[in-house]
Amino acid sequence: MVPLMGNVAQDDGSSSVTSSPLKSFSLMSLSQPALLPCAPWLRELKSDERGLCLIHLLLNCANHVAAGSLDRANAFLEQIALLAVPDGDAMQRIASHFTEALARRAIRMWPGLYHALDSARAVVLPLAEAAVARRHFLDLCPFLRLSYVVANQAIMEAMEGEKVVHIVDLNASDPTPWLALLQGLRARPEGPPHLKLTAVHEHRELLNHTAIRLSEEAERLDIPFQFNPVVSKLDNLDVESLRIKTGEALAITAVLQLHTLLATNDSADARKAAQRAPPAGITQQLSLGDYLDKDHGANGHSPSADSVLSPPFASTSPARIDSFLAALWGLSPKLMVVMEQESNHNSAALTERFVEALFYYAALFDCLDSTVPRQSVERLRLEKMLLGEEIKNIIACEGWERKERHEKLEQWARRLNAAGFAAVPLGYYALLQASRLLQGFGCDGYKVREEGGGRLMMCWQDRPLFSVSAWRC
Amino acid sequence: MMEYENTSVKTITNSGSGGAGVDAPPSTGPPPQIPVKKKRNLPGTPDPEAEVIALSPKTLLATNRFVCEICNKGFQRDQNLQLHRRGHNLPWKLRQRTGKEVRKRVYVCPEPSCIHHDPSRALGDLTGIKKHFCRKHGEKKWKCDKCSKKYAVQSDWKAHSKVCGTREYRCDCGTIFSRRDSFITHRAFCDALAEERAKTGTAIPTMNAKPEVDDGKVTESRKAKVVVAAAMETASAAAVETASPLDQQDPEKSTGLLHHVPPPSSTLANTSGAAASSASATTSSNSGSSSSNNTSMFASLFASVSAATASHCSATFSDLMGAMAGHSDRPLGEPPSLCLATNAGFPSLFAPHGRSHDRHPFAPSPASSHMSATALLQKAAQMGAVATGSSFLRGFGLDASSGQQEISIARDSTLQWGHQRQQLLEPEPEPVPMMSAGLGLGLPYEEHLMMGSSSLYGAKPATLDFLGLGMRPVGGGPNGELSALLSSSIGGSRLDIGPGAAVAGGREGTERKSTNPANP
Repeated sequence: MVPLMGNVAQDDGSSSVTSSPLKSFSLMSLSQPALLPCAPWLRELKSDERGLCLIHLLLNCANHVAAGSLDRANAFLEQIALLAVPDGDAMQRIASHFTEALARRAIRMWPGLYHALDSARAVVLPLAEAAVARRHFLDLCPFLRLSYVVANQAIMEAMEGEKVVHIVDLNASDPTPWLALLQGLRARPEGPPHLKLTAVHEHRELLNHTAIRLSEEAERLDIPFQFNPVVSKLDNLDVESLRIKTGEALAITAVLQLHTLLATNDSADARKAAQRAPPAGITQQLSLGDYLDKDHGANGHSPSADSVLSPPFASTSPARIDSFLAALWGLSPKLMVVMEQESNHNSAALTERFVEALFYYAALFDCLDSTVPRQSVERLRLEKMLLGEEIKNIIACEGWERKERHEKLEQWARRLNAAGFAAVPLGYYALLQASRLLQGFGCDGYKVREEGGGRLMMCWQDRPLFSVSAWRC
Repeated sequence: MMEYENTSVKTITNSGSGGAGVDAPPSTGPPPQIPVKKKRNLPGTPDPEAEVIALSPKTLLATNRFVCEICNKGFQRDQNLQLHRRGHNLPWKLRQRTGKEVRKRVYVCPEPSCIHHDPSRALGDLTGIKKHFCRKHGEKKWKCDKCSKKYAVQSDWKAHSKVCGTREYRCDCGTIFSRRDSFITHRAFCDALAEERAKTGTAIPTMNAKPEVDDGKVTESRKAKVVVAAAMETASAAAVETASPLDQQDPEKSTGLLHHVPPPSSTLANTSGAAASSASATTSSNSGSSSSNNTSMFASLFASVSAATASHCSATFSDLMGAMAGHSDRPLGEPPSLCLATNAGFPSLFAPHGRSHDRHPFAPSPASSHMSATALLQKAAQMGAVATGSSFLRGFGLDASSGQQEISIARDSTLQWGHQRQQLLEPEPEPVPMMSAGLGLGLPYEEHLMMGSSSLYGAKPATLDFLGLGMRPVGGGPNGELSALLSSSIGGSRLDIGPGAAVAGGREGTERKSTNPANP
């Protein structure tokens, strides 16, 4: 056993007390691959040192996992495990979730293991947990509420003068925005319209809950209201079931939903590509520096990045998104409001996704760290059950399983334009209301700003996290 | 009109007292007429001996009570009417003041609910009581055309019109005040102001008149900022200085200097935090937040000052990082490691001679709080080497692509590593601190690397031109290639790695706050 401290052989007699713990760390690893657990000097690491350590370890581990060298990845995972805890500071939490994702990813090399573990743990979180986590997200961060405020304002503006308003909510687990909309409609100078709400969701129970809440509110406000639940997953949604009448004033809202439709069975190709040795030195492995330099508007499946992987995705079935958007366009909505994560987590290369996700979720975890106390149970649940699950999906899953295929707004804009939608600039009042909401929220770090074309970006400290945009047919 | 006439007639004929337009209470007619009372008043009133007079509302509101019967011209004063009557050749009589001493008169307000209705609170002046009655109980007939403020008394209205719009205090949120005190009060609670403060990080937006309340904070935060800047300058200077003689002392020194940085920045954060908190203690937010500097109290959903504080902190540190980075572009005759050290704020991490140093790699970070994850990532990227797992690995010859280092078993790596170690130790004088730099974690170079698994295979680490330094490879061809590879792939920080800096291969036009390359 190598003593942890003091055997600084190379030194000029510097005392063990002053030797760097990190140095000792390395010494240890030299002498034996397996690390001693809970090395006392670990506690000496200051949080920033530890954070940088973690970043370094994570990147290395990710590279190894992507390259398939699992032994090395394992070594890194061991080291990370010493430093990362899910209830530590932001970086530690991020690390703990990312390593779990990497571990799951690594296990994919052994499909038997992977599936055995997968079915053992619920692939989809129990419904209640997921709903709770989403509720926490609504409460602890302003992003959802901001988008609701903006969407409602856009809807009110688009539906001025309409006597009948039909709204389709593509993920209606949350009655919050519609409660607010009911209030807003009540206050309309020409009186409230007849409101029809078609709510799409996978689970009937949540729809029922929403239905009850909204019906009560509508009655209280004396607004003619009709609620049509549609129990369906988004990717096999039949637009006919939405029962849109021709000529109706239709508004569609898609909050953090559309990206799931980008899923496609590209996993086979990805695996092939990973096993094949990429030509020397190009792009598959990404540097953080590259990341920062890169134009953040780079699109998800840029051919250049994937040229290494080369198999054209001709053999994959196209994602549902295009046909879905076309179907929506066919309904001739007056307005469609889209909220999406503003980051590219859909590149085929794992390492790229890893780095992008690292930066993105770092910002999210940071904002939680800055606004919510560390011991908050809600925050823990949110991080674990919502954000952690997203991270796992981005890193560990492939193909149809990988649903969290976030892409940047520019990408979405291209798709929406291709499907026939035209952008509607969000008005001044939307931005104003958003700003007011943020002021009321009271935290300085959150910002809302308008980007070219009347879209809104919700940022934490200048890092855009979510985008909201409006479209018409 | 009739009443006026009657009243005035009565007044003229009945009243025995002279004086300008003093009305004796008419005995009949309009309501509540209280006959002249002679009362003792409580002490405190102007004159206990004064005669208390109660006048009717009509009387008080009346203007031009004295009317000429010929032409119906109204006069406020009886004297004026008399003089006017001369013009009509009417009999006129100027009343003289009564010979006996004039009793002091005080007036009560006829409105029962008014405080001045009580004789003990009577007002001493007729004009005063008239104006009072008008203002408080009268209809506001005069309106300012500039600001639509309404007045019941014409003289008030005139006075206001003169000052309306002349003297303004304007808050950043757009509200205008004519009064300094209301302006100051508003600013303390103005939301827009709070935003402004948060953005600029100081407590003062520009304004016409600065209330004293904020002055203290401004000065403080400004001072704090200055101190921070100064400290940063000193710190980076010190860091570079310590480069040359690397002995044990220097790290402490520079560390110490760097440590000075945190307190001012915390002060700064606290200050702005406090300022922000006072600003944000508005409508619905919990004012309890104002006192706490820690992340707490989120339950009310109005993130407290702590948020501001924390975000200030991380912003400050990122700034510090940037500033530190900015300072490091000194031409180095010194080993590159030091530049790196400067850049990353590591005073002297990398001993070319493998000395162990007391490292405080993250001196810039204050004891009180830590860097946000985003800041850490950016810092890691700036350090360049650390960031790139891939180029890092390539740096160690572990590029999967080249195929020579497919290592499947960790044990191998250890063995190999042990072998490598000798080689590592050889070129001792050859500083390859970039390796450690690569780790960015303060590992002395020949201690090898953090991960035992990351063994150095094909590439002799000594020669790794990890950061594109263009150092000569000790080994053969592959290393040279690797060097080129690294140079081209490193997009990381443009560290000015002195001699033979060949970071040209790196990206141009990076926007990050990194040093400028000093391409030879």
